[in-house]
Amino acid sequence: MSAFWAQLFLMLEWAFFAYFLCINAAYLALHYVSVFSILDYMRDHRTDYLPRDLPAYQPPISILIAAFNEERSINSTIHSLLQLDYPEFEVLIVNDGSTDAPLSILIAAFNEERSINSTIHSLLQLDYPEFEVLIVNDGSTDATLSSVIGEFSMVEFPEAYRQRIGTEKVRGIYASTRYPNVRMVDKVNGGKADALNAGINCVRYPLVCSIDADCILHPASLGRVVRPFLEDSNTVASGGVVRVLNGCTVKDGFLEKVELPRQVLPMFQNVEYLRAFLFGRMGWSPSNALLVISGAFGVFRKERVVAIGGYRTDTVGEDMDLVVRLHRRAREGRRPYRITFVPDPICWTEVPSDLKSLMGQRMRWQRGLAESLIPNVGLLFSRRGGAVGWLAFPFMLLFELLGPIVEIVGYIAMIILWWFHVIPLQVFLVFLFLAVGMGIMLSTNAIFLEELSFQMYPRVGQQLRLFLAAVFENIGYRQLIAFWRVIGMFKWLFSGNARSHWGEIARDGSWQHPNGAGAGDTRKGGGS
Amino acid sequence: MNRAAPLVEFAFWLGVAVTAITLLMLAVTLIMRRVALRRDRIYLEAVARWRPILVAEPGGIATGLPTLSARDRSGFIRVWNDVHESLGGGTTDHLATLARKVGLEPQLYSALQSTSFHDRVMAVIALGHVHSAVSFTHLAGLLDDKSPIMSLCTARALMQVDAQRATPLLVARIVERSDWSQGSIAAILQEAGSARVSGPLTEATLKADGELASRLIRLLAGASPDAAAPIIRAWLLAASDEHVVSTCLQVMSNPADLDGVRPLLAHPRWHVRMLAAATLGRLGLPGDDQRLIAMLSDSQWWVRYRAAGGLLQLSFVGTERLRQIQQTQSDPYARDIITHVLAEQAIGSTA
Repeated sequence: MSAFWAQLFLMLEWAFFAYFLCINAAYLALHYVSVFSILDYMRDHRTDYLPRDLPAYQPPISILIAAFNEERSINSTIHSLLQLDYPEFEVLIVNDGSTDAPLSILIAAFNEERSINSTIHSLLQLDYPEFEVLIVNDGSTDATLSSVIGEFSMVEFPEAYRQRIGTEKVRGIYASTRYPNVRMVDKVNGGKADALNAGINCVRYPLVCSIDADCILHPASLGRVVRPFLEDSNTVASGGVVRVLNGCTVKDGFLEKVELPRQVLPMFQNVEYLRAFLFGRMGWSPSNALLVISGAFGVFRKERVVAIGGYRTDTVGEDMDLVVRLHRRAREGRRPYRITFVPDPICWTEVPSDLKSLMGQRMRWQRGLAESLIPNVGLLFSRRGGAVGWLAFPFMLLFELLGPIVEIVGYIAMIILWWFHVIPLQVFLVFLFLAVGMGIMLSTNAIFLEELSFQMYPRVGQQLRLFLAAVFENIGYRQLIAFWRVIGMFKWLFSGNARSHWGEIARDGSWQHPNGAGAGDTRKGGGS
Repeated sequence: MNRAAPLVEFAFWLGVAVTAITLLMLAVTLIMRRVALRRDRIYLEAVARWRPILVAEPGGIATGLPTLSARDRSGFIRVWNDVHESLGGGTTDHLATLARKVGLEPQLYSALQSTSFHDRVMAVIALGHVHSAVSFTHLAGLLDDKSPIMSLCTARALMQVDAQRATPLLVARIVERSDWSQGSIAAILQEAGSARVSGPLTEATLKADGELASRLIRLLAGASPDAAAPIIRAWLLAASDEHVVSTCLQVMSNPADLDGVRPLLAHPRWHVRMLAAATLGRLGLPGDDQRLIAMLSDSQWWVRYRAAGGLLQLSFVGTERLRQIQQTQSDPYARDIITHVLAEQAIGSTA
């Protein structure tokens, strides 16, 4: 190898090293910002100190379920919604010139016939006073529509439908004759974003909660995720943390037992969810710089969503894009606003347990990230950008969007350097030791923070298993994820934005059946 | 490679430090878990020991009481609070006797000094159930705690100990603390009874405006609708603040005040028109149906919806009359919204 190339690769090695230190330091900083926020949050919100007869005011809520081929799961999902437990609606809060009204839950679903029933079951157990559930059947090709109609005694309803956001044709609206707060929109297939937009056109309440059809919620989830709207009238969006459902036991829509996944891939994702999606995101919330609210569970002020034209249908990252545009619009308009992250373990979802589904999911997420960040690049270092424009956006761009490329190039550069004897094996191993070591430290730190806060895995054996997963996910798994993300980036670069669609994820759904009877199933996957 | 050697050395030692920190974090996590498990075990043992004693019938707890040790304190306080909450307003004399026998009050005062937020809040709640006049001074200092949980629990405890003395303190804090949840304050006021709270609350409401006026009007209307009525009437007639007017529309309960409501059907803000239509539907008199019919063609869906729903609510209109009204409407939006509410009525569903 010529001296020029050797020098170039050596510089790359330095750059890779510096970048690695920066990204790990940034994540570590985020973790520690988040832990203070979480401890404060735990102190004031997690424990039911206030006696039973002192329920906090919680505004009514609408639940929207967008479904595509949900024949097998949708009924149990709706049943669980109908069990929602919430103190009675007391008063309407008037603020910001509009009336703070009940809340609607949207469940975006596409071919969710196996798990949507459990989702609706869990929603029906939620602790909330007044809500509506809106299921959007996004042109399902299975028996989702007839299944829900039959299960919930639905009749076609002459809804005075207002199309405030353009969507594919709505074929009909149904209302349950047994559950007054359950309705269904049947529409021509148009993708997840289109289904959510149709739901937003149809919901009645000012707060809209969007959840994935395969989610299991905690009974108190709505109350907790709505709380930021009550504490700060400028709140426009609030997101909940998504936890890994694999390994847990769900019975009649309830999360009966929290357990660690038994399979390796979900176990790695469990550690990853703790590290990146809980403590990583919570760190941005105190500075109002949260850029991602998972499509799996988030509450939005409907009028603000309508004002920005609803979800974009030409992206696979419609959930992140919506939040980025909410930030941008509010900052450009100099409107006070707040976007909050609720760290409680309130939403549980099944993660992919096979490589193919995981690959598809991560490529889609990376593509969605690019599709959300690049069109809104005006937010970056903008005069009114605040913490989101000056910290979170550059962080996402530098570490989340470009990070996988740097990581993969760094590994390849080091292998080439070693191969051509530019660096000795010892140096290669030292850098590998550091890179993997830092990854393990971040993951172990997330486990430590989990013990400090939510303690969802209280047994010593569970903690040791988590630690083992934290070690081994950094050897191979993390690099594989980075590689898939690079492919996702290239797909976006060379084929442009993708239309919002329902991702395919193979799931076993065995958590629905304590005896593990669930057979393989391919259904849509949630957002990032 | 000489130039790279310091970097490699630095990377190596950094890697060693990172590994050491990782192992340290793992060790601390495991130790914390062991401590937490031990604490939970002690707590559960205390709960198991004291629950049967505290839930025993009055008279059954006079003899053979175990000593309340510091180790049992947390578990005892939890059971103490649970038992009181489950009794609601029932008699708690036997529990007071028990508290004296086991020396609960001094234990609660020392729990108030605990570094644990949980223990302090539980002690505050427990002191509220002890009803000891001495505790008022101890508790009053916590009313201004920056945590809304702590200060609200203290407010409730103070009202339980001496409502007469606590009400002025509480009303002053309601005015100051926007972080107190409305539902919790309403429940505390309701527990104390309207006779005790309506005076100071009316006084504060008369002085308030804007968002504070809205909050206080809601509380006053909940605690004492009679005391709230003249204030609501005055705000409706003045119609100077749309937020307060909206609140008044939601909480008003006297049809005599509808004269202040009817002009609001022409208010430029749709949410005021919507609430005015809903109020007329709730309390309206003959003649108001014509006003609601006019609102069926409003530009806002919610106003049309509440107007149609309001017509259905009026006892002198009913389903058949609403169908007739629908036939006479030339505006398709008006017809659609009537179809909508009639269909909702048929299946028993309303927003």
